[in-house]
Amino acid sequence: MRLNLVDQLSGFFWIGISIFVCLESVHSEIGTYQSPGAGFFPFWSGITLGIFALILIAKSWIEKKETKVMDLWKGKEWDKVILTLTSLLIYALLLPRLGYLITTFGLMAFLFSLIGRPRLWIQGVSALITMLVTYIIFYVWLKVQLPKGIFGF
Amino acid sequence: MDIFHNLLYGFSIGFQPANILACFIGVLMGTLVGVLPGIGPVGAISILLPTTFHMSPVSAIIMLAGIYYGVMYGGSTTSILVNIPGEAASVVTCLDGYQMAKQGRAGPALGIAAFGSFIAGTLGLVGLMLFASPLAEFALRFGPPEYFAVILLGLTLVTYLSQGSVIKALMMATFGFILSCVGLDQISASPRMTFNIIQLFDGIDMVPLVMGLFGISEILINIEESTNPQILKTKIKNIFPSISDWIQAKGPILRGSVLGFFIGILPGGGGVISSFLSYSLEKRISKNPEKFGKGAIEGVAGPESANNSATSGAFVPFFTLGIPPNVVMALLFGALAIHGMRPGPLLLQDHPDIFWGVICSMYIGNVMLLILNLPLIPMWVQVLKVPYRILFPLILLFCLIGSYSLKNSSFDVIVMIIFGIVGYLFKKFNYEGAPLTLAFVLGPMVELNLRQSLLLSKGSFFIFFTRPISATFIIIAIILCITPLFSYFIKMKEKHRPPVTN
Repeated sequence: MRLNLVDQLSGFFWIGISIFVCLESVHSEIGTYQSPGAGFFPFWSGITLGIFALILIAKSWIEKKETKVMDLWKGKEWDKVILTLTSLLIYALLLPRLGYLITTFGLMAFLFSLIGRPRLWIQGVSALITMLVTYIIFYVWLKVQLPKGIFGF
Repeated sequence: MDIFHNLLYGFSIGFQPANILACFIGVLMGTLVGVLPGIGPVGAISILLPTTFHMSPVSAIIMLAGIYYGVMYGGSTTSILVNIPGEAASVVTCLDGYQMAKQGRAGPALGIAAFGSFIAGTLGLVGLMLFASPLAEFALRFGPPEYFAVILLGLTLVTYLSQGSVIKALMMATFGFILSCVGLDQISASPRMTFNIIQLFDGIDMVPLVMGLFGISEILINIEESTNPQILKTKIKNIFPSISDWIQAKGPILRGSVLGFFIGILPGGGGVISSFLSYSLEKRISKNPEKFGKGAIEGVAGPESANNSATSGAFVPFFTLGIPPNVVMALLFGALAIHGMRPGPLLLQDHPDIFWGVICSMYIGNVMLLILNLPLIPMWVQVLKVPYRILFPLILLFCLIGSYSLKNSSFDVIVMIIFGIVGYLFKKFNYEGAPLTLAFVLGPMVELNLRQSLLLSKGSFFIFFTRPISATFIIIAIILCITPLFSYFIKMKEKHRPPVTN
């Protein structure tokens, strides 16, 4: 049987979101039509989302167009996406602790090496220049309060 | 006489050194972003939005508007020279622009794109000036039901005109409404979907949301592709189009300008649709339609004019009704909100400096763009040669600093990364981010006006049908919602019809 698994999967995901939103809205008090409460709008938005998700699932059954979820990543360098995202998350977590200069140098050195694999010293110098230039622009000129971290810089 | 005085007032604001600088930075960044494939106007504005926090509201909007129409100008360069559109509104320009470049006519193609954009941008501004004031006066008659209805119609149009599946676009808009509910309720101040996270009590900030959804996700999509665009090795000469080029292009430029302006006013319209419509219009009325796709100058002049004029048109509902017709305007809406202002009919009365200042700065910006685009084309070509491996870490860093600087908190950085992942998955699963962002921005307005309308009518939904303006908008929205269903069933019926045998 040919199935559009991409739409099916996303449809079920949205149904889950819809149920979750409706339950959360009930906690916030839905109210009545005469006097709508805080949960009124999110509740009906959740219901609408659920209905649309059901239509999407039904449509994917009727259309009989075969698509697999894994096909979306076929021939793509998805490992780079995961590495980039992981490095960004680590950066966000370390930023307040280690400060802007150290974390930015680390992140840039890593990202510059992600595509093309340049020599180590080129990587290091590029990261250093980026770190210093952005520090001057944002911290010195634009007065953005970049975090200093435990080392005080 | 009034318009003349207002224009003088606007130019006195537009020519202030800070505003000239903001306009210059805006158009320069816009052109740069337009030239670089991969980052559209939404990504660029969302990345640069935090830099406007320290500016005055007028300078901030002048700069962001500059980015918007600058992108439209710059987008044509990559379409013509690399056959890769710098942004979505320049997709059509590839068809004939690249063919012209292959025939050694890259210069006239780039030239007519720049001149056409300039003429259209200027004509669009005249339209904006003429239409905005009367429409703002009309909008003063609007109450909660009318506002609810017009926003609903706008969102319906956005989803109806979306490039992908209508049902997915509707889901995105609904999800945008849900996200806009996170935080304290506007009326009762009770927390909704905050999960006891203090930072969520203020709601989700628009800046990390759009940066993630459009900026980060775009980069993620680009780094998983291992394509390297090849720049056409052609000498760019005769940038000033010849007289015969002008004769061929003058009609498409004028038609594209008018069409683009009115499409731009429509919610969901914008540069993409106007450029496609202009191309089909020119092809349809052309005496030699077979020339299109093979290097017809009309195929460059029309769409490039239309997408620029649409930019001016988009400011009409924004300034007069306070309703952003597309996602870029939604970002500008957010930028004004950050400065404590709300676009709408009262903006013209309370803050004429913003309205007239922005309009006049757009005149100035159009001249700047013409100066930037023509002599600097060789420089933009060099920019195209910057390898993506250098570019993407820098863009990511700007996003990180931008979202951090919002509240000096890494919570916003994490929110941005999460929305980056969400945006990446949306792109993979063919969901569009534009309806979500628009609904997210308009969500609080929709909710407030809906609840106020229900309170006024004591719970009756007939209030939306008993008032003529809201009834008209709602009926159009319903028709738009039903139409795709009908066409879907007709298609299905035809698909299952047995083949006719002789």
